[in-house]
Amino acid sequence: MAEEVKVVEKEIPIGLVHPALLEPFRIRFFVSDEIVKDCEITLNPAHRGIERLMEGKPYEKASVIVEKICGICSSSHLWSSVKMVEMGLKIHVPERAQYIRTIVQELQRTTSHLIFLGHAMEVVGHETFAMRAFLLREMFMDLLYYISGSRVHPTAQILGGVRPRCDIPPSLGKVILETVDRAEDAIAKYVERLLADPLVMSRVTGVGILDYNTAMRLHAVGPTGRASGVKFDWRKDPVQNPAYKPFDFNMVVLDWCDTKARVATRALEIFEQFKILRQAVKNMPDGPVIDRTWRMGRMDFSHGYLEAPRGEVYHSTSLDDHGLVRNYKIRTPSCTNLPSMEEACIGDHLTDAVLTIASCDPCLSCTNRFTVVDLRRDKTRVMTGVEIIGKYGRRRTR
Amino acid sequence: MIDNPVWIVPQSIIILAIAILVGTMLPGFERKIQARIQQRIGPPILTPGFWTLFKFAYKKKVSPNSLMPGLYVSLPPISISLLLIILLFTSPPFMALFPRERVVSNIPTVFSPIAWYTVLGWSSVIAVVGLLKVEELMYVFMGSLSHSVLSLDMPIPDLASGAKVAGFRREYMEQQSAVRAFKMIGVGSFPIYIALIVPFTLAKSVFVVDLVRLQNPGWFASGSFALSLASLPQRPNILTFPGAIAAIAYFIGFMMLLSEKPFSILKAKMDVIEGPMLEYGAIYRSFVYLLRESVMFVLASVFVTFFIGIPLDPFQPLLLAIHLLLVFLFIAFEAVMAAFSPILTFKQIYPFSFTMSAMAMFALLLAAVM
Repeated sequence: MAEEVKVVEKEIPIGLVHPALLEPFRIRFFVSDEIVKDCEITLNPAHRGIERLMEGKPYEKASVIVEKICGICSSSHLWSSVKMVEMGLKIHVPERAQYIRTIVQELQRTTSHLIFLGHAMEVVGHETFAMRAFLLREMFMDLLYYISGSRVHPTAQILGGVRPRCDIPPSLGKVILETVDRAEDAIAKYVERLLADPLVMSRVTGVGILDYNTAMRLHAVGPTGRASGVKFDWRKDPVQNPAYKPFDFNMVVLDWCDTKARVATRALEIFEQFKILRQAVKNMPDGPVIDRTWRMGRMDFSHGYLEAPRGEVYHSTSLDDHGLVRNYKIRTPSCTNLPSMEEACIGDHLTDAVLTIASCDPCLSCTNRFTVVDLRRDKTRVMTGVEIIGKYGRRRTR
Repeated sequence: MIDNPVWIVPQSIIILAIAILVGTMLPGFERKIQARIQQRIGPPILTPGFWTLFKFAYKKKVSPNSLMPGLYVSLPPISISLLLIILLFTSPPFMALFPRERVVSNIPTVFSPIAWYTVLGWSSVIAVVGLLKVEELMYVFMGSLSHSVLSLDMPIPDLASGAKVAGFRREYMEQQSAVRAFKMIGVGSFPIYIALIVPFTLAKSVFVVDLVRLQNPGWFASGSFALSLASLPQRPNILTFPGAIAAIAYFIGFMMLLSEKPFSILKAKMDVIEGPMLEYGAIYRSFVYLLRESVMFVLASVFVTFFIGIPLDPFQPLLLAIHLLLVFLFIAFEAVMAAFSPILTFKQIYPFSFTMSAMAMFALLLAAVM
């Protein structure tokens, strides 16, 4: 039987250097007139070798590198990594520390969602909405600075708790609550205007369709999956994330399955984050913020899952007898969302397709560790989406 | 002396100087308004339009990556020339060539009754529409000729085994923008051309001078350097029903010709970046900026002349000041609309353009029966 030949008019390559792409990657759109018939995302140029950098280092040093994986969700990586080792070495974490970790994480999730809204609106071409989102984000960047002394890399989580400098006194708690109150009003107005703007909605409604079955098949995670009706959030998992157990919040799940849904999911999640922040600040228990009674030692393979702003982030490693890192593996949410992005933009207008990919909130420099180089044959090979899922994805079968 | 055609040269130079000087302020003015809307300070008024020209002019020349670099770099200056010719055709030194009611008491030599009109007879809607069409076509050529390093020439191993490569024709992204430019000629520019015909239909003439005379008989009666309010328009087209509809269609068409949001699909940043203009660097980039400034000023000035009836008359300071003020006001509307708009794709542009064209056609029919 003859192999079916896909007839596509032409290929439009976008990247590596491109204003719509925040990071160096390549999108190859195979289009007929303006309609995307197929798409391929190539990540090769941003390989940084972070896992290799950590190999053989004491975990305390490696954890500093872990935070540098991403500038937007640095706290997620650090917490996931620290949590993994704490679970492996059975290190006790004080309750107050868990609350502070949650506050830092949710503040950073808010900044991430706002930067997403800003970037999405930039890609839509609406500069005013984009600038407004970046302006709103500043309030939370300031809060991160007040807590940790750093706007981008808070470095709050360490083994056994949080750094003492990141402790939140009552006065700072009051500032957080006031800022959240102020921001909630402003963000509510912003979201209301955004979702009511007919021109913006004409760009995002009904484009970039990623239906539930496809999202499940391609392992879409985080808000990208939840915008397609996938009810999954690691924060609701009490085994992997006991820190979220005391908090009452909703999982935002929409079934519109389009770009609008992905924008709206993140926008609505911000208000759930505010719920967590308020509860965390008001109910924060007294006590120490770090437990230093643990001893570093051998740790067999351990893994940790956390709900990063973009979805499921996975860290795994083992430690040798001296507490040195062996075989560190990281999987970022964008990794498993890649096939979804490629799939969702098929059938879109070329300009909408870039928006569809942006609406999945890719963070590709963090993701790039999938270049297959065959040294014997001196060849490189691009892994297909299914291969990536098969090898690195974790099916949600439970 | 009066009939000496040489006088047309200084007149033209004055008009062009005003156009270029004021035009260089328009992008800064536009950016300032958008910045204020976005709660930013924004750049100084002269930076985006005026100083940018010099900044790029003094940069090291970079030859564009193009099939025909010579032709490619010469397209913006050609477009600028076309636009400035449109401005000259719609400005008084050319219109005043008509030896009619115009009283030329103060400086009779300035308003020579001969020269361009008698030579070409182009001070009409036909010339304006024709030259604008040619100007639009330039973007198709630019897009076809540009081969940016940001597109196919970027070295990246995306043709590795396993990549989806076989059987596809690879294109530079600018070629996609050339296709879009062609579509915009076909669809996007309909509203402005229909709208341009409406005021002439109201004037029952194809000549600009008749159009201005219909709206502003006082201007014809007044002398040069007159400061009288009598030279203000008495019957501006924009205050008539078909004129008002046509003015809206013209404004939308202006946004389309300017490739400004929401109609900037031609140079949509998120896919084709700068589109046809991507490969221009150094002094060639200056010409691209100057081209945009020319489009802004000329089309705004044409609007004021055609729909409000105040021609760009450098020899009547009051009229000139009002004309320039209205040009800035026109650009302010454009800036506000662009600030609150996303980039529309053809999915939205087609119905939008159709609606605007239908509105303009309705105005045209009304104007014909009025």
